[in-house]
Amino acid sequence: MSTLTNEVPTQSAGVGQPLLSLEGITKNYGPNTVLKDVSFEIGKGEVVGLLGDNGAGKSTLVKIMSGVVPMSSGRYLWEGEEVNRVTRPETERRGVETIFQDSALVPTMSITRNIFAGREITNRFGFMKLREMDAITTEILDSVVSIEGIRSAKQLVSSLSGGQAQAVAIARAVHFKRSLLILDEPTSALAVRATEALLNYLVQLKGEGVSSVLVTHNLHHAYKVCDRHIVMNHGRKILDTPREDTSVEELTAAVVEGAEGVKRFRQGKPLA
Amino acid sequence: MTISTPEGTGQSAPLALEEQAPTRRRLADSQPTTTAARLKDSLYYLRGRGALEISAVYLAILLGFIITALVNPAGFAFVNSNNLSGVLSQNIPVLAILAIGAGVLMIAGEFDMSIGATIALCGVVFIRTANSAGWPVAFVATVAVGIAVMLINGAIVVSTKIPSFIATLGMSFFWTGVSIYVNGSTPATFFPGVRTDTMVNLMAGNYGYFRSQLVWLVLVGVASWFFLHRHRAGNKLYAVGGNAAAAAAVSIKPKAVRLQAFAFLGLMVGIASSLYVARTSGMQPGTTESYTLLAIAAAVVGGCSLTGGRGSVTGMVVGSALILTIENGLVLGNAPGFYVQLFLGVAIVIAAVFNKFMEGKAT
Repeated sequence: MSTLTNEVPTQSAGVGQPLLSLEGITKNYGPNTVLKDVSFEIGKGEVVGLLGDNGAGKSTLVKIMSGVVPMSSGRYLWEGEEVNRVTRPETERRGVETIFQDSALVPTMSITRNIFAGREITNRFGFMKLREMDAITTEILDSVVSIEGIRSAKQLVSSLSGGQAQAVAIARAVHFKRSLLILDEPTSALAVRATEALLNYLVQLKGEGVSSVLVTHNLHHAYKVCDRHIVMNHGRKILDTPREDTSVEELTAAVVEGAEGVKRFRQGKPLA
Repeated sequence: MTISTPEGTGQSAPLALEEQAPTRRRLADSQPTTTAARLKDSLYYLRGRGALEISAVYLAILLGFIITALVNPAGFAFVNSNNLSGVLSQNIPVLAILAIGAGVLMIAGEFDMSIGATIALCGVVFIRTANSAGWPVAFVATVAVGIAVMLINGAIVVSTKIPSFIATLGMSFFWTGVSIYVNGSTPATFFPGVRTDTMVNLMAGNYGYFRSQLVWLVLVGVASWFFLHRHRAGNKLYAVGGNAAAAAAVSIKPKAVRLQAFAFLGLMVGIASSLYVARTSGMQPGTTESYTLLAIAAAVVGGCSLTGGRGSVTGMVVGSALILTIENGLVLGNAPGFYVQLFLGVAIVIAAVFNKFMEGKAT
């Protein structure tokens, strides 16, 4: 049974304790409140779709989940245990990896140096083992993502096409993820088939017990692979529903018209 | 469609981000295996990184100067122990060490306009400390003051988020004022006997065709190269300068990294100032201002980007050598003072344009 937010929170589709619970997350940027009292759970091995129109607060939520931006108030519980200061090192330690909308690579650095930035393989004096890092990068690019046109791990990211750079960002996240993979509009720079492959991959990750959060504008993509859908509207969560209780049409109504749209849809009235 | 992860069974195909040709080559199979091929590969991926092309230009100019000097030793006294030791090997190291400091800071995406003023303060500190406690203590104190000055500059830039250009320009006047306050308006000089033979031999010794400063440059250059290009701290510098938001997303702290870069510049200014006063035996606050822009110009000529994220130690050193060698050649060729500046300016701009062009060819 799906619920509107003001009611009891939905049970996550995962088994047992949720991997991540967010409780009452609020985020203010100066006088602007971009997230208002958002709560939801991500179960182990669950694929969650995070949907909403531009400005709904999805990207801010992603940044808070990945520890890049601090929340103003709220609780962040990892496997039931509260994390007091949610920083990127904390989330990294827990195996959270994010593919950001703007791919978050350094254009002036090589693919290898990008993949290992901040996580360099070094000897005990901190000197990098570049040849080993190059070899692993080559291996990741071959085995994790497969995309034409990359000739060497030593290439600068600035010399890659948008799709190739996105593939590098995906490869990095996939390589380092251990528990939760967050994808913020990952398919924006990808071709149709690449998108399909990536979506299928999320389903496969479930089998390995890795959860994922898919942020997207494309409701058809989300509906196809996500176990549960969360719809955001003006900084609030307005819908949190398992896949089987909803439809692309209901999600569309929620994204376009917010809570009103959902109510109208459930009363059987067509979109305004 | 099947997908695998690196931990997978190896039976399934990778996450195919595009339609695959049946004969698609694996990246791993196309990588060089022999030492020669690996070397060629490394050289290929050095293109447009700032060091390779400018080094070639410098070697060409150097070769031209040497040939001219050999053909006409009287008219163009380039290859001559006085010139090599007295001009090149005592000027280039000081500028190159400063350029390494300025360049490393530029890679992190920041500037410092107070390098010249800090040299004056450091020089005064070296001389006055040497006068009272001897030169080894003075060297340590000078380096410490250099680092402290730059950490203060860095803290202002990092905490207030004002552009480093304007913040350090303001601080440049402040540090000049501090050095005059510390020293008074007359030049600082060593007391008799303070400038010992050991100190001179180590920091400004003349060994025929070269001076001890050159040894310092080699040591500082090699250490900086390993720090910048092979140490994880250097990797973080490039990440912060190239895309600070991306760096923060992988647990790098941009503010801390920028402060490190300021401190590194302070270390370099401390060393360069010590070498400078060991040779000149005196320091007048306000006379070293030109080093600020010269160091930045040397770094830019050597391939550092004004927007951060690009540059190499080799480039910074060669950039310094290029500027000073051209200046030396102009002086030896009897260009009047005015034209030296004119040609030098043109050479710097051409070198920077050339580097920008080569940057576009980088892969």
